[in-house]
Amino acid sequence: MKSIVLLSLLGVTSMFAGVFNYRKLILPIILIGIAAAIGLFVDQWGMNKSFYQMAFFDNYAIAFSCLLLSVSFLIFTLALYHYRKEGDIVTDLYALFIFALTGGLLMTSFSNLVMLFLGIEILSIPLYVLAGSRRADLASNEAALKYFLMGAFATGFLLFGIALVYGASGTFDLAGIAAYVKAGKDIPDFFYVGIVLLIVALLFKVSAAPFHFWAPDVYQGSPVLVTTFMSTVVKIAAFAAFLRLFNYCFTPLASYYEIILTAAAVATLLIGNVTALYQQSVKRMLAYSGISHAGYLLIALVVMGASATSVVFFYSAAYAAASLVAFAVLTAVMENKEGRESFETFKGLAKNNPILALCMSVAMLSLAGIPPLAGFFGKYFLFATAIKDGYLWLVLVAIFNSLISLYYYLRVIINMYSSADDEVPAFTPNYALVLMLLLSLGANLALGFYPDLLMGLLG
Amino acid sequence: MKEVIQGIPLNYYLFLSTVLFSIGVLGVLFRRNAIIILMSVELMLNSINLLLVAFSAFHGDAKAQVFVFFIMIVAAAEVAVGLALMVLIYRNIKTLDIDFLNKLKW
Amino acid sequence: MKDIAWLLPALPLLGFIINGLGRKALPKMVAGVIGSAAVLGSFIIGLMLFMHVHETQHGEVLNYYRWLSVGSLVIDLGLYIDQLSAWMILIITGIGFLIHVYSMGYMSHDAGHNKFFAYLNLFVFFMLVLVMGSNYPMMFIGWEGVGLCSYLLIGFWNTNTNYNNAAKKAFVMNRIGDLGFLLGMFMIYYYFGSLDYQVVFAKVAGVEINSPIIVGIALLLFVGAMGKSAQLPLYTWLPDAMAGPTPVSALIHAATMVTAGIYMIVRSNIIYTFAPSAQTVVMVVGLATSIFAAIIGLKQNDIKKVLAYSTVSQLGLMFMALGVGAYSSAMFHVTTHAFFKALLFLGSGSVIHAMGNEQDIRKMGGLWKKLPITAWTFLLGTLAICGIPPLSGFFSKDEILLNAFTANPVIWGLAVVSSLITTIYMFRLLFVTFFGKFRGTYDQEHHLHESPASMTIPLVVLCILSVFGGLLNVPEIFGGNAWAHHWFGEMLFKPALGGIEHAVSHSMELVLMGVMLVLIAIAFVVLRNKYITKGAVPEADEEMTGFTKLVGNKFMVDEIYDFFIVKPIYLFSSALYYVCELKFIDLIVNAIGDGIVGLGRLFRRLQTGNIGFYIFTMVLSIVAILVFKYFVV
Repeated sequence: MKSIVLLSLLGVTSMFAGVFNYRKLILPIILIGIAAAIGLFVDQWGMNKSFYQMAFFDNYAIAFSCLLLSVSFLIFTLALYHYRKEGDIVTDLYALFIFALTGGLLMTSFSNLVMLFLGIEILSIPLYVLAGSRRADLASNEAALKYFLMGAFATGFLLFGIALVYGASGTFDLAGIAAYVKAGKDIPDFFYVGIVLLIVALLFKVSAAPFHFWAPDVYQGSPVLVTTFMSTVVKIAAFAAFLRLFNYCFTPLASYYEIILTAAAVATLLIGNVTALYQQSVKRMLAYSGISHAGYLLIALVVMGASATSVVFFYSAAYAAASLVAFAVLTAVMENKEGRESFETFKGLAKNNPILALCMSVAMLSLAGIPPLAGFFGKYFLFATAIKDGYLWLVLVAIFNSLISLYYYLRVIINMYSSADDEVPAFTPNYALVLMLLLSLGANLALGFYPDLLMGLLG
Repeated sequence: MKEVIQGIPLNYYLFLSTVLFSIGVLGVLFRRNAIIILMSVELMLNSINLLLVAFSAFHGDAKAQVFVFFIMIVAAAEVAVGLALMVLIYRNIKTLDIDFLNKLKW
Repeated sequence: MKDIAWLLPALPLLGFIINGLGRKALPKMVAGVIGSAAVLGSFIIGLMLFMHVHETQHGEVLNYYRWLSVGSLVIDLGLYIDQLSAWMILIITGIGFLIHVYSMGYMSHDAGHNKFFAYLNLFVFFMLVLVMGSNYPMMFIGWEGVGLCSYLLIGFWNTNTNYNNAAKKAFVMNRIGDLGFLLGMFMIYYYFGSLDYQVVFAKVAGVEINSPIIVGIALLLFVGAMGKSAQLPLYTWLPDAMAGPTPVSALIHAATMVTAGIYMIVRSNIIYTFAPSAQTVVMVVGLATSIFAAIIGLKQNDIKKVLAYSTVSQLGLMFMALGVGAYSSAMFHVTTHAFFKALLFLGSGSVIHAMGNEQDIRKMGGLWKKLPITAWTFLLGTLAICGIPPLSGFFSKDEILLNAFTANPVIWGLAVVSSLITTIYMFRLLFVTFFGKFRGTYDQEHHLHESPASMTIPLVVLCILSVFGGLLNVPEIFGGNAWAHHWFGEMLFKPALGGIEHAVSHSMELVLMGVMLVLIAIAFVVLRNKYITKGAVPEADEEMTGFTKLVGNKFMVDEIYDFFIVKPIYLFSSALYYVCELKFIDLIVNAIGDGIVGLGRLFRRLQTGNIGFYIFTMVLSIVAILVFKYFVV
C-alpha cells in the first residue's frame, strides 16, 4: 500500500513541477520514485498484507505490480529520450502516466469489486486524456474520443455486471463471492448474466475479439509513448485483473463461461494475426500484434489454475520486454523520418544504425517466438500447460497463428535490411535510449536463458 | 423508507433497471452526436445506481449505497474529461457527429 | 583447473572475432600475430592441463553452464579433461600453432590473408570444442563446426568453380556421415536416457555384449567417423579437398580434423568393446580403405593428391587398429601421423610456393639443391611415414602391425601390403620431386628459391618431432616403457577378462619387424634404380593403359558415384521439381498463402473506423453470447 501512496504523491509532485519550476528534475525524481516503489513492494514479498479488505497484497499482486512498475520505469526512460526537446505540457503528461499506473497497481491487488472498478477507472481516465495529448493532431483527437466513448460504454457493462453479482451474492468482497459460488445454493440466473457482463467488460479492456475494435485505431492515433504504455502496462494490468478475479471467484463455474473465453481466444488470435498481415503502418501492425498476444494469454485464462498464473506472468514479462524494444526503435525511427511509420520507413536502418536494427530484430523474433528468446519460452510454457490440461486443439490453432505471425514480424526485419532511396539517416541515440534498449534487451535475453528466473516465482 | 422499497418485489427493480440500461445502450447505438451518446452512457450508469440501491435495501447492506457515490464521482470525472475532449474535437472539425471520426481505420 | 580450462577454446574464438571483425582494418602482420598468439596461448594452457592430468591420473568434468534442460534431456556446456582430450589438445594447438606461423609466410601475398587467419582460428576453436566437450552434443557442435571451417577453407579461393565444387563435395559427403552420428546420438539418448559421456558409459557397462542396440549405436557412430575421417565409401572428398591452401591441407585434412573420427571411437571405446561385431566392421573398412587408397596413391602425379591418398590410407590403418581393439596404438599413430604428415604437407607447400603454384611432380625434379631445408625435412618425413627405425613412424606402425598380428596373421599380412605400397609411392614421390633433372619451364627454374624463415622453422620443428616422436612410446622390447600406451590405458575401459596384451614373444616381434624392414629395403632399391639411376619419369595421362589407367583414374570411383548416385538423384529431383513441386505443391502452398492474405484484406475491412459500427458489433456480440447461453445450450 505504501508504494501506491508513494506513486500518488509522485503524480502530484509531477503536476506541480510546472508551477514550481523543477521540470528538468522531474524525470529523475519519477525514476527514483518508481524504483523506490518497486523496493517497497519487494519488501512486502510473502507477507500477504491486506488493506481494510479492499486490497490484498499477496505474491501475485506484488509480482504483477513490480512488473508494471518495471515496465513503466523503462517507458519513463524512453520518455527521457522522446520528450527531450518538449516544453511545458510534458510534466502534466507524466503525472497522468503515473496516475494511470497507480490504477494499474490497484487492478493487480484488489480484493473487492469496488477497488476493481476504481482501479480500471483510475487507469482509463488519464489514458483518455493521454491519447488526445497531441492537441493539434486530428488523429490523436479522434483516438481519444473513440477510446473515451467506447471505454465509457464498456464501463457501463462492467458496473452492470458488478451490480448483478452483488445482487445475488450480497457482497463486493472477493472472498465472500468465492464462498457464495462455492456454496452454490440457489444461484439466480442474473448472477450468470453478471459474470458474462464482467467477461465482456474485461475482454474489452484486454482488447480481445470481438471487443477489440477500438484498439488498432486508438493505438495508431495516440502519441507513440502512450501507445507503448497502452500496449504494455494497460494490457498486463487488465490481464492481471481478469485472471485474479476469475481465478479467485468463479473457477467452480468454469464450465459455464469456458466456452465464451475459448471462442474469444480463437477469434482474437485469428483476427489479430490475419489482419496484421495487411497493414502498412508498423505502429498499427504492433497494435494487431498486441491483440494476437492477448489471444495467446486468453488461452492461459481458459486453462486457469495455479500454473496459469505463472505462465501469464512470464508471458506478459516476455511480451513487454520485446514490445518495449520494438516501440523504442519505432520512436527513434519516426523521429528521424518526420513521424512516418510505414514498413518502408525502416529501410536502410541496418546499414545506417546496425545496433538499432539488431535490437529490433531481436524484439521481432522474440514476439514471433523464436528460441532462445524470451518470447519462445513464454509460448512454450503456455502451450505445454495447455496441452497438459487437454487443450491440444487450442494449441494447434495457436501454433498455426504463430506461423502466420512470422510473416509480418519478418517483414519488419526484411525492410530494415534492405535499402532504398529514402533511408533512415544515421543518428546517434542518446544515453536514455541506449539504457532503455539495453535493459529491455537484457531482460529479454535473461528470460530466454534463465526462464526459471520468473517461472518459479508464483509457484 | 426501507419498507417502501421492499414493498415492491426485487424483480421489478431488476426489470426497470434493465429496461433503462437498454434504453441507454440503444441511445448509444442510434445517436450520432457525441454529447447525446455521453448522456446515454450516463443513463446506463444511473440505471445501475438504481439497481444497486435496490439490492442494497433488500440485502440490508449499506456498502452498495457507498458504491453508488463512487460511481457518481467517477462518472463526473469521466464527463469532465469527455466534454474537454469534445471541445477539442469541435475546435478542429466543427462538428461532434461521430460519423466524421473515421480517419483512423483498416 | 576449472578457471583456466575454458580459456583454451575461448582464445582462438577471440582471435577469430578480432580477425573476423578487423579483417579490413588490421595489417597482415598484426592479424597473423594475433591468430598465432591465440593458438600459442591455448597450447600453453593445454600444457598446464596436461601436467595436471599427469599428476592426478584421472579425468575431470568441468560444468560451466546448464544449457538445456527439457524433461529428462539435460545438456551441459561442460568440458571433460582426461588423458585423451589433453593429448588431443596438445596435438591440435601445438601443430596448429606451427601451421599458423607457416601460414604467415605462405599466405603473405594473398588478398584474403586476414580472413584466412580468422577461419583458421575458428577451426581451432571448434576442434577444441570437439575434443573437450563432456557430452555427445558438444562433440557434435565441434564436429559440425570443423566441417563448416573445412568447407570455408577448401573453397577459400572461391573464384575458382572447381574449388567451390570440391568444398561442396566435402560438405555433402560429411553430411552423410553426420546423419549417422546424429542417429547414433538419438539411439544413445533413447536407450540410455542421456548424452553425457559419464552417464552413458556407465550404463553401457551393464549392456549385454553384441546386443543389437549397442552394435547399432557403434555402427551409426562409425558412419559418422567414416565421413569425417574419409573412409570407404565416403573418402572421395578428401583428395578433392586439396583445393584449399596447403596449410589447410596440413592442419585440417591431415593432422587434426580427419582424426576426429578416431577420437570419437576412442572416446566411445567402451561402446565398441561391447560390440565386437561392430569392431570387425571397423577393422574391415579400415583395412580395405588403407589398401585401396594406397594403390590409388601409386599413380597420382599431383604432389598433394599423393599425400591426400596417403592420408586416407594411414587413417584406414588407424581404423584397422581400432578394429582390433588397439585404441592406444591408434592414438599413438594419430600423433606421429600428425607430425610427419603435417611436415610432408608443409614441405609440399614449400615446393609449390617455390614452383609458382605448380603441383605436378612430372614438371619438377632436381629440387634437392635449390630447396635444401625443404628437401631434407621432406626426406626425413618420408622415412618416418615409411617406418624406418628409429623414426617416429616406425614405432607407431610397428605397434599397429603387432596388434594386427595378435588378432589375426591375415590382417597383419594385408596391413604389411598396405605399408609396402605406402613406401613405394612415398619414395616415388620423393625421388621424382627432388632428384634427377629439373623438368619445369625456364622461368620456374630461375624463380626457384628456398622459402622464408617463417615457413622453414615450422618445417624444422615438425621434422624434429617426426624423428623423435617415437620416444613417446618406445616398446618394452627396446627397453622402453611404452609411456603413451600406459597414458591412454588410464582412460580406456578395461574388460573384466583382461585387455589385449601382447601374446607374441619378443623373438616373434623381431621377426615381424625384420620382414617389414626387408620389404622396405627391397622397395627402396628397386625404386632408386628406376627413378634415380635410370631417371624415369611417370608417364603422361594419355600414355596410361590397362590397370595403370584405372588406378590413375582413381578406380573411377567418382565417376561411379556420379553415374549411380548423383545423376539419378538429380533426375529424380528434377522430376519432383517439375511435376510435384510446380504442378501440385506450389499451387496448394500459394493458395493457402493467398487465402490467408485475402482473409487479412477482408478482416481489415471490418475495421471501418466508425465508432457506431464498433459499438454495434459489441452489442451484437453481447446479445449473441446471452442468446447462445440461454437458448442454445
